[in-house]
Amino acid sequence: MRILLVEDTLDVGEAISRRFETIGHTVDWQTDGRAAADILDFTEYDLVILDVMLPGMDGFSILKRLRDGGSTVPVLVLTARSEIDDRVGALDLGADDYLVKPFDFRELEARARVLMRRRAGGEATNVIVCGDVLLDRSQRSVKVGNREVPLKRREMTLLEILASRPGRVFSKDQLLDQIFGFDEPAGPNAIELYVGRLRKKLEGAKARIVTIRGVGYQLVSDAED
Amino acid sequence: MQRTRRSLFARLVIRVAAVLAGGAAILMTAAWFYARAAADEAYDRLLQGAAIQILDSLVVEEGRIAVDLPPSAFELLGLAPRDKIFYRVVAPDGATLTGYEDLDFPADVANARTQALFETASFRGLPVRMVAASRAIADPSIGGWANVLIAQTTEARQELTTELTTRALVLVGVMSLLALGGTVLAVRYSLRPLDALGDTLRRRDSQDLTPLAVDVPRELSPFVESINHFMRRLDDRLRLLQRFIADSAHQIRTPLTALSAQVSLIDEEALSDNDRRHLNRVKNRASELARFTTQLLNHAMVIHRFDSVQLSPVDVVDVARKAFRAAVPITIDPDIVVSFEAPPQALMVLGDGLSLREAIVNVIDNSLRHGVVSSLAVRIVRRGNFVLVEVEDDGPGIPAQDWPQVTRRFVSSKSGEGSSGLGFAIASEVAATLSGALGFREPTPETGFTVFLELPLLDKRSAP
Repeated sequence: MRILLVEDTLDVGEAISRRFETIGHTVDWQTDGRAAADILDFTEYDLVILDVMLPGMDGFSILKRLRDGGSTVPVLVLTARSEIDDRVGALDLGADDYLVKPFDFRELEARARVLMRRRAGGEATNVIVCGDVLLDRSQRSVKVGNREVPLKRREMTLLEILASRPGRVFSKDQLLDQIFGFDEPAGPNAIELYVGRLRKKLEGAKARIVTIRGVGYQLVSDAED
Repeated sequence: MQRTRRSLFARLVIRVAAVLAGGAAILMTAAWFYARAAADEAYDRLLQGAAIQILDSLVVEEGRIAVDLPPSAFELLGLAPRDKIFYRVVAPDGATLTGYEDLDFPADVANARTQALFETASFRGLPVRMVAASRAIADPSIGGWANVLIAQTTEARQELTTELTTRALVLVGVMSLLALGGTVLAVRYSLRPLDALGDTLRRRDSQDLTPLAVDVPRELSPFVESINHFMRRLDDRLRLLQRFIADSAHQIRTPLTALSAQVSLIDEEALSDNDRRHLNRVKNRASELARFTTQLLNHAMVIHRFDSVQLSPVDVVDVARKAFRAAVPITIDPDIVVSFEAPPQALMVLGDGLSLREAIVNVIDNSLRHGVVSSLAVRIVRRGNFVLVEVEDDGPGIPAQDWPQVTRRFVSSKSGEGSSGLGFAIASEVAATLSGALGFREPTPETGFTVFLELPLLDKRSAP
């Protein structure tokens, strides 16, 4: 994935670009706001990480110009401001997420991953309902009744698979293939781990994951019993 | 404490009323004197007339003075029908010709020869008005002055005096009332700009630091000017302070971020065990420093926001959801179940979105750091006219005796675990400013330890 990083503090910029390069992304790092805005005019990125206080042109102006130009590239805003004069919040201006400095670098990586995945997942707006479990694939959010329960990526994928055909039994191998792919080594115990976590997070729901011994798992809505 | 003195209105009205009452008293006394003089004059003429008629009727017959009292004289005196009449006709030699022998004139009767004399006296215990008149008897045998004394009780005079005085009293009373009424209206009218100014100040939002824009009379303009002057100065100070907080936030956060960025770049694999341990301590301290700095700046921001930001209706559900998303890191341990539950409709409170979010973030953050073992639940509940933002975790909680302390700044719940910092202090100050409260609930077998923010709903209509 191609990432544009706009950050004028060298120590911070260096760390961010190094970390993202380590996990296999291409990072273009700009320290000047105006230069970054010019680059964005003719280059497509998968993610923009944007500092607010910048020389040349501040982050909010870049963001506004980007959105006014119709770009939908995910933008993660980094801010050191105490938000006291953020009359217009970054989110209102069209940022997809923001982090307040100083932040945890693992958190930055995780949020960036979520944004890039959401973009790759396309704009499909399909909602799966099973019992009172509601899974919004575009928002990647899950609701159990009135309760919003944030799920991890793989838990989400597992629930997506099970909920796409409620009542159908999926074998461990099928689930393994779909969740981890071929290049990621994972044992059948991994499935048990994720099913366990998902069960805990769906506790109290009118749908549950049933283990069929020796065969696999199925999602059963209580309404159908 | 400022003492409230009597109102300007009362001062003016009381003083004007006192002047009017004094004036009325003087006028009434004068009226009474005039009335008495007028009554005396009127009835004295009648007395004099009667005396002259009696004198005229005296005739000398055969060397004696004959008295033939004329009825017309008594008709004249009968004009005061309820008054008693006493009379005495005295011959020049001092003998009583007719009438009451004990009726005496208090002054020298000889003076009555030129003109009739009047005196106020009493006769047989009754207050009377007396007249004395004399006539020269021309008969040589008797030669001298005959006197007539008539005394009349004073009932009719008093009646007349009272009547005249009462009429004057009514007139003076009506005039005084009119004057007082006029004064009240005039004072009210003149004080109206003061009331208007007071009203403007009362209705003003305490966060509103713009100059007062009211038209006031010349006498009030120094007050309005100095209020505006102070308002401007306060506004400048607040702006300066906010600028300072914003600047220091930026100035402190940037190197902190740089510090943790650089630390994160150190290749731990290449370090010795000892160095790795030191590095971890540096990391922990750096993140602690980052957290406290954030809290300190947010605390300052929240406090000063309330000085300058006007409260507006905000949806607690929306604010809490944002806070939930900001406070729960994506990198949270996957074995922890977190959830957010809220009613589908908006719950409006009068507040400031940013401060409220900061308060909720701090409560959730505190729970994640010190409480949560395997589950965290954030719930928005409506209870009566209040909305509760509950943060429940399955941790050990805070013992009840420590509850009052943890909302203070930098007080640690357990010495070993480090300070809970400013988190609860921020939350509880925000809650207090929004007329709400920060509360705690002991764990029960069904529910875990709960920290809640209780805020009053805006009104019933906005949250049906």
